[in-house]
Amino acid sequence: MLVSVLNGLAIGSLLFILAVGLSLVFGMMDVLNLAHGALFLGGAYLGATFSGSWGGFLAAFGIAAVGGLVAGALLSLMTAPLRRRSHLDQALLTLGVAFVVAELLIIAFGDDPLSAAAPPALDGSVTVLGAVYPTYRLVLIGVGAVLAVAVYLVVERTRVGALVRATVADREMVAAVGIDNRLVTTAVFAVGSLLATTAGVLGGPIYGARPGLDATVLILALVVVVIGGLGSVRGALVGALIIGQVDTLGRVLLPELASFVLFGALALVLVLRPQGLFGGPASVGAR
Amino acid sequence: MADHPLLSRRRLLGVFGAAASLPVLSACGSSVGGGGGGDGGGGGGGGNTVRVGLVVPQSGVYAALGTDMQRGWQLWLDGNGGRFGDYTVETVLADEGESPQTGVPAVQKVLQSDGVDVVVGIVNSATALGVRDLLAESKKVLIVANAGAEDVTGAGRTPYIWRSSFTNGQISAAMGTHLAESGFGEGVYAIAPDYAAGTEVISYFTRAFEAGGGRVVGSAQTPFGSTTDFQPFLTGIQGSGARATFCFYSGAEAISFVQQYAAFGLAESIPLYGSGFLTEGNVLPQQGAAALGVQNTLHYSDQLDTPENAAFVDAYTAAHGESPSCFAVQAYDAANVLNRALGTATALDGDAVVTALEGVGTIDDSPRGPWTFENQTPRQNIYLREVQDSGGTLVNAVVQDLGPQGQPAAV
Amino acid sequence: MTAVDAPAVPGGTPAATPRAPRGRAGLLAVAVVLVLAAVPFFLAPFATTTLTRILVFALFAVSLDLLVGVTGLPSLGHAAYFGAGAYAAGWVSINVTAQAPVPLLVGAAVGAVAAALTGWITVRSAGVFFLMLTLAIGESVQQLANTWDSVTGGANGLTGVPSVRIAGEPLTNAGFVYWYVLAVFLLGFAIVWLVARSPFGAALRGIRDNEPRMRALGYPTALYKYGVFVLAGGVAGIAGSLLAAQARFVALSDLGFLTASFALLAVIIGGAGSLWGACLGAALVILIRDALGPSLDGHGTLVLGVVFVLVVYLLPRGAAGFRLPRRNRS
Repeated sequence: MLVSVLNGLAIGSLLFILAVGLSLVFGMMDVLNLAHGALFLGGAYLGATFSGSWGGFLAAFGIAAVGGLVAGALLSLMTAPLRRRSHLDQALLTLGVAFVVAELLIIAFGDDPLSAAAPPALDGSVTVLGAVYPTYRLVLIGVGAVLAVAVYLVVERTRVGALVRATVADREMVAAVGIDNRLVTTAVFAVGSLLATTAGVLGGPIYGARPGLDATVLILALVVVVIGGLGSVRGALVGALIIGQVDTLGRVLLPELASFVLFGALALVLVLRPQGLFGGPASVGAR
Repeated sequence: MADHPLLSRRRLLGVFGAAASLPVLSACGSSVGGGGGGDGGGGGGGGNTVRVGLVVPQSGVYAALGTDMQRGWQLWLDGNGGRFGDYTVETVLADEGESPQTGVPAVQKVLQSDGVDVVVGIVNSATALGVRDLLAESKKVLIVANAGAEDVTGAGRTPYIWRSSFTNGQISAAMGTHLAESGFGEGVYAIAPDYAAGTEVISYFTRAFEAGGGRVVGSAQTPFGSTTDFQPFLTGIQGSGARATFCFYSGAEAISFVQQYAAFGLAESIPLYGSGFLTEGNVLPQQGAAALGVQNTLHYSDQLDTPENAAFVDAYTAAHGESPSCFAVQAYDAANVLNRALGTATALDGDAVVTALEGVGTIDDSPRGPWTFENQTPRQNIYLREVQDSGGTLVNAVVQDLGPQGQPAAV
Repeated sequence: MTAVDAPAVPGGTPAATPRAPRGRAGLLAVAVVLVLAAVPFFLAPFATTTLTRILVFALFAVSLDLLVGVTGLPSLGHAAYFGAGAYAAGWVSINVTAQAPVPLLVGAAVGAVAAALTGWITVRSAGVFFLMLTLAIGESVQQLANTWDSVTGGANGLTGVPSVRIAGEPLTNAGFVYWYVLAVFLLGFAIVWLVARSPFGAALRGIRDNEPRMRALGYPTALYKYGVFVLAGGVAGIAGSLLAAQARFVALSDLGFLTASFALLAVIIGGAGSLWGACLGAALVILIRDALGPSLDGHGTLVLGVVFVLVVYLLPRGAAGFRLPRRNRS
């Protein structure tokens, strides 16, 4: 049981890293970035290609980070002309981009599923209160915690963070006050995408890299974002931890029903409280 | 409400339509002349040529298997003058894809559009079952070179579908009998993915294991194709008190399962056994050291010490730089079998080929050892293999020959 | 504002250009139908089978267009009803009868019932939330089909579906199957077209363009949205029964996210709101996937994605079809 709870925390950490970017972008710009899963997959393939050594791992991490920033900035640019039209067109655009990116990844890396080894020294197991647990996943929990604190500090304690929170709360008012937050929105998009690609590298030793993983991961991230609330870092953390536990414990206790619980929760939240547990104003749901 | 000046949607669609109609020009013919559905395209090669449709995955999850099968097929042809009996072989390749959604149209295409005489291939069992009616109606023979579902030559059989590969139950029943005799009778945990093949593997394993006096203390079926984190199930295995685990996974799931089995500490205390696909082909290098010591059963290993296999492995390695897998052998043998059949067949139509196949007898020059057809599927030796380190490379060494097995009676 | 602009001809010509006289478009439609009907006489069986597949997917896309283009409800889970209808029709064909109208009616009924059961929670949301909700529903239904493998065959799919029978005779010839599918397709298309043309359809377009205003005018918008959702589910179920009749097997992927996305792609590419456009979009998707895909090593989806991105950009401003209710619309 301890192992399951630990595992739920590890998966939750990974989901948090993945979902927080999606949540902020959605909260700030109403853009549902359906290419988020494809970005994760890109990072995962990078991790799988360079896996096996610390140098490789860090190289993959670095390339994924840079790639994520660039991809996010590009996506922000691509969706900009559609901002006058409708949020749906932007979402559909990202869907098209997701298809293109996923296929390009298959062309580049082949159809085979790849596995990524954890970096040396982290690829063993440790005994935690009598149960054997892979070291890497424990480290992942730590990384997730550190990142959560970092993001929280940036969003709650810096000016940029204040701008982000204000835009999530009331976009029109921010514009009315005279602040041009285009740079901030592009930056949030870029950082969110960076988090997605690096989550892919970090998740390699658990999820590997294979065609179709982008859709699986995207749906999980959407569930986290909706349940936790759009634009809320706290919501992304809580949502991710909840979903991580539900997914793990659910599959141990009720293997057949685990997926239904996940989607049932999503539907329930969308109906009862569309803005999620910690989301923005109630008007968000009416759009 | 102005349209874009140059590019209206109508024009865009018109351009697409024109581009799409070009291949249509080559599709002319008639769909209603003369008889049944799959009958189009006329009678294949004609003269002294036999047209074979090789339908294997060229894209998607099973693409690696498709590559191996193509190589095995071509290797036989290259080493035997490209002829089956007196007929020159013309191979038409089609992409099965990874599901019946692409596989069934691919078979339709080779039958109707390319007019083949024989179809060979099919990795996915669901596709094999899905094309059954198609082949029966068009009266053409299919030699399944992989799909292992029992129904293909069992409940869903037709005289036109033969198999040169294996049955899922054949391989797992052998392991069941072996484990019962090896002192694990007190408790084994069985785990496989939740789809038809997984269910089949577990039920035949269980029946053979229990017939030998064993007791299955727990079993689980994991969501197929989407499980990457096996921790919940590994916890279940540890809690069940099992003394060994029997599993069936292939592809990505095999890699994840074996690696996680070791990472969560089960490998030392609860030895892992499997159906051979767990460590076959290109998953073994990816599993790395985690796979050492895993014993599994399969109808082939590249380490088999026979003259036929040595020659086959040498030729394959020389041509492709890597060792062959069972998938290559299955396709190789399909060619072998067709050669023998067409050497005695009176004509190229389905019924004549079926009659010839029935008289093929023992195939004694196969890399996997001698085998025969029993109910249109191979009765062959099943080998107990163990993953060992052979000079730096991981191989499936042959530990024991478990003897010939046919398709087990239906559970 | 051309909110309640009911096009007089299928697909609707843009209001800025002079409308084609009704007679001319009607003649064009008749000509197209005649050409389609004559196809088996001059196309080889494989091409006919491909065209059959196109018609099946086109009917599915048209049913989605009723939701997306006419009512402004973007659904990423519509394949759930398509697949439910396909499984139902297939199951009935295997276990009860494959006689002509029965699998069809069963498919339509099951599609409509599935939509009715799941639609009531969707009508309270709109826009991107509706998208996500329908995605979740679609995934759940697919998961249900996977689990309920005694009926659906689980991950293996439903195999061995017998040919449809017309008056006792099984349709095995590719040409005859095509005619059956064409007939049902025309029927389904006619249903959707009539609904789109009717006052109900006009109200739906009003809801698409400005739902608060429609509510202010006294329309029970939630009821209307629910009604069209169920209708679209039923038509998708009809298309599903055609899938079972044509492909003679039903796979889990027919219910899933990918199929639903392809249909959405087809609708957008063809022009949301234009029913015949959805058919052309469907033809494009199927041709790229089945005809072009193999020559591109199975990477047809790449071309599809690029085309989709281009279409989203080049979508003319304010084209008939894709406006969502905007807040503070003066």
